[in-house]
Parts: sequence; C-alpha cells; structure tokens
Amino acid sequence: MRRVLAVSALLVFGLLGAARPILIGITQIVDHPALNAVRDGVIEALRRAGYVEGQNVQYLLTNAQGDFSVAIAIAQEFRARGVDLVVSITTPSSQAVVQVFKDTHVPVIFSAVTDPVGAGITGYPNVTGASDMIDVRADVELLLKLVPGLKRLGQVYNPGEANSAILTEMTKKVCAELGIELIVAAANGTAEVPLAAQSLVGRVDAIYCTTDNTVAAALDAVVAVSKAHKIPFLFADPTSLERGVLICTGFDYFDHGLLTGEIVLKVLGGTPPSAIPFVRQAGTQVWLNLDVAQEMGFVFPEEAKKLATGLLFGGQRFVKE
Amino acid sequence: MLFLHAAEQGLIYGLMALGVYLSFRVLAFPDLSVDGTFPLGAAVAGMLVLRGFSPYLALLGALGAGLVAGAFTGVLATRLRIPGLLAGVLTMIMLYSLNLRIMGRPNLSLLGRPSALLGLARALAAPRGYEILVAAGLFAAFVFVLLLLFLHTELGGTLRAVGQNPEMVRALGTNPENLVVLGVALSNGFVALSGALASQYSGFADVGMGIGTIVAGLASVMVGEILLRPRGIFSHLVAVLLGSVVYRLAISLALRYGAALGFTASDLRLLTALVVLGALAAPALRTALRGGEA
Repeated sequence: MRRVLAVSALLVFGLLGAARPILIGITQIVDHPALNAVRDGVIEALRRAGYVEGQNVQYLLTNAQGDFSVAIAIAQEFRARGVDLVVSITTPSSQAVVQVFKDTHVPVIFSAVTDPVGAGITGYPNVTGASDMIDVRADVELLLKLVPGLKRLGQVYNPGEANSAILTEMTKKVCAELGIELIVAAANGTAEVPLAAQSLVGRVDAIYCTTDNTVAAALDAVVAVSKAHKIPFLFADPTSLERGVLICTGFDYFDHGLLTGEIVLKVLGGTPPSAIPFVRQAGTQVWLNLDVAQEMGFVFPEEAKKLATGLLFGGQRFVKE
Repeated sequence: MLFLHAAEQGLIYGLMALGVYLSFRVLAFPDLSVDGTFPLGAAVAGMLVLRGFSPYLALLGALGAGLVAGAFTGVLATRLRIPGLLAGVLTMIMLYSLNLRIMGRPNLSLLGRPSALLGLARALAAPRGYEILVAAGLFAAFVFVLLLLFLHTELGGTLRAVGQNPEMVRALGTNPENLVVLGVALSNGFVALSGALASQYSGFADVGMGIGTIVAGLASVMVGEILLRPRGIFSHLVAVLLGSVVYRLAISLALRYGAALGFTASDLRLLTALVVLGALAAPALRTALRGGEA
C-alpha cells in the first residue's frame, strides 16, 4: 500500500511539475539499432502521456557497451541514485538490474527479453515487462506458402546470443513438426556471418533468420548470398526490407518500446508491477520485397500476397488496405 | 556506495587481475586464454549450482576447470611450440564453444540461487551493507596469500626466474617449460575463480561475459604498478588489487558524473579510460606543479 501511495504521489507531483521529477533509469547492454529503437519508443510513449524530459521526468540513459561487468555497475548506480523506476533492455541487463533491485520496491520493467522465464527474472513482485518473442511457427508456415516445395530450411544464428539461441531451438521444433529439415549455420560474430551464409548454398531451399543481433549487424552478407544464389530469405525484422531482404516479418522495435512504455505508464499510474503480467509483443507484420523478387526471378504466389501487410515496389513501401 | 561497489568489484575482478599478473608479469607469458577461462569459471560454477551442488564446491569446480584450461594453453606453447599469443587465442576460441556446451545455452540465470559470496557474507555477520565487501575481500585475501606464499617457495622462486632468465633455470637443472605450464594453469585457475564469483555477484553467467577480460586485467596490473611503484612481491600483489579497484572506480565515476559533464551513454568507455588516465597522470602533474613552485 505504501508503495502504491508513493508511486501515486510521485505521479501527482510529476504532473504538477513539482519539486522533483520522476527519475527513470534506462539500461541496455550494447548500442544496437533495435535496442536504441526500444529505448526511444519507451521515451516516446511517456512523452505522449505528458512526461516531458527535464520537467516532470528525468532519464538516466546508460549503456554497458558490451561489457557485462558494467551492466551490474549500472544497476548499482541506479540504486545509489535512488531511481523511481528502471527500464532494463535485453536479457543480461535485466538480470543485472533484478539482481540489484530484487529486494527493493522499485519497479523494474524489462524489455526486449525473449524468454523472461528462462532468464529467471519473473516471479519478483516489483518486476514485469515485455517479451520480444517472435512467432516462429507463423514465419515457417509463411515460408511454406511462399516457397512451394520447401523441404530444407537454412538458418544463420549466433549460438552465443541468449535470445537467438532460444529462437533457433524453437525453429528446430517447428521444422520437425512440419516435416522440414533445418540446417543451421553458426556465426559467433559478425565476421563469421558471410562464411555461415555461404555454407548454406546448395543445401537449402530458403533461409530464415530470427531476431539475431549478429545477423542483423551483418545482414548484407546474408542478403548477398540470397540474391546471388536465388535463395528466398525471410528475416524477422520489418525495418530491414530496404536492405534487400525478400520477406520481412515480425515487429518494429520502436513499437516494442512503445509497448514497454505503456507498462511503465501503468506502473506510474499506481498499478503495482505484481498486478501486471509480462506481455508478449503482438502484431506480426509481413512485408514482401517485389524489387528483390524481380531481381531474383522469384514469383510470389498470388494467394500469398494477400497475407502481406505491405509490399516494397520501386523502392517504395505500399501498405495494403 | 560508489566506493563500496567499486571496491567489491575491484576485489572480485582483482582475482582475475592477479592471474593476469602471474602470466604476463611473473612468467612474461602473454596469455589471452583468460577471455575464455573467465566465463568458463562462471559456466562451470553456474551449472554446478543449478544441479544443486554447494556454491563453494562450485567455486572449486571453476578453479579446477581453469587450471586444466590454463595447463592446456601452457602445453600448446611449450610442448607443441606454438607461440604463446596464438596458444592463448586458440584456447580462448575453443573455450567459447566449450562454454556454450557446458551451459547448454548462452545464458544461465543464477538469480536467487545459492551464492558463495552471499553465503559467506551471512555467515560472517559483517557490518550491515559491507557483507559482500568483506566476503569478496576474504576470497581476494585467500588467493593473495596463496599466491604470495607460493611465490616465496623454492618452486615459486624458480617460477619467477623463468620470466626473467629461462636459460638460468635450465642451467639449474629445472625444465622451465614445466614451470610455464604450472604458472599458466594457476593463472587461469584464479581467472576462472574470479569469473565464478563475478557470475554469483551479477546473478547470471553469459557466454559473452569474457569479452574484454584481458583488457581489464592488464589495465589493473599496470595502473597498480604506476600508482604504487611496487618493489617486492607483496607490494606487487597489493598493487594489482589496488589497480583493479581503481579500474572499477573509474567505471563507477564515469557512470556517476558522465551525464552531468555532458557525456552520453555511448561515451562510457572513453570516459572510463580518461578517468584512468587522470589517475595515472596525477603523480606527474603533482611533481610538475611542485617543480613550478620551487
């Protein structure tokens, strides 16, 4: 009860623009376009709700710059500074924050964590958030519709990425159920992506990559292989369409940030985190790249086009009505 | 709080720095396997804790795994005549895959799991708020004393001679190669132990947590040397731990005051390096100022 009062009081003071703005710590493990988009989405969601930086809210934006020991130092710094709420982006940053804040009443809202249960950050009364788990089954079923006769599916992934490894496990399961052979090619860093993608040539009918940060960073290498060898490529990131991916699915990470921001707003509105179950990002988009299809001599089945959110044609996106 | 957490981490990562000191400085062996043995310790200890073993036993397991991995690097360098740098690199990249295999996945959550740091802290009834520091200090003291005593034994003395004059060691009838294997093994044992403690401290083990270990280790060793200008073994070891604390303090200071000074989150590493530089330049600046007065 005291916590609810405290949070409500904060909100009231915040809206009145009184003495102390709400202090929100945002932490992420690295600089990465998708993760930065999440951070921007959170701030935008709060801005839309009337939280103006410097007036009634103040952000501590931090980044461990890839050093895991810094993730814990950031969490301790948040606690020392007496933040009113923490937004933790990615699995390791969230684990570090939960480790430091698990015995406090400070709300922790995680984001861009694929498997919060597996990450061990659920079950704490002050912790909730948003999972960026994608719909792997829907992606594979879409490929089955778009690529008739799909028997062998290739996947480039980084086995060292917590989020990606889970999605590859799921892809394996889904493929086994659908009678597709999955051939994985591991890339332990961006420099290994070209070799991994090339290793799939001649062995697969299509390539499917999930929200793997390593692949995202070296996406051009996979696109090059896909185009050169006319292998249809589905990538679970709708913002990568212009980079030459044939099929893009999933959600925009900025939207994931907005969703996370809505949870933050609920908590600031007085709802205790324990009363908010963690949510999964909904709203999978399907984008088809007609320019690349033409380049590759690939023809999308007419029926499949009906499934699309939109098309890229002549370098422009067209959203389907 | 700032100093407290920096000191905690400085001691925990200081074990790793002591390991780096042993290979780089005592043996003059540029061992890069530490980027792999640090997460190896976390992986082994994490799996043992998750399987229900005592967290203290898990630390021993990590120590053992680090000893074996270090000995492997040592054997590559001495028996197979692979240059030391390459031997370390090979072990490091092998360990990346091996760590993934040990954990079965890239990230293990240790949140709420038994921790040797917390366990020891509770058992000690240390002053409130300082429990972790005292526990981390005890672990650091344990390795510190172990290393100090070892380097003062006859074997340890010969080991020290290996780094300076291997030919002399050979002339004395000892095979310096065996000592290199022993030294690199011990070094990586300490590094793995440090990794295990760091994972219990952070609440997770991740296959990526080894990145930059060698950089932090070398920085700690050298910062300590410049600040303390140590002469004997004892003061050298103290300097390493001090360097480690200063390095962590630099990160904490960069996090605390960076934004107020107009730096953004992406400037953190730059700022950390600048704080370290400031600490290193301080004695020279002071001397220069004194010179100006005189």
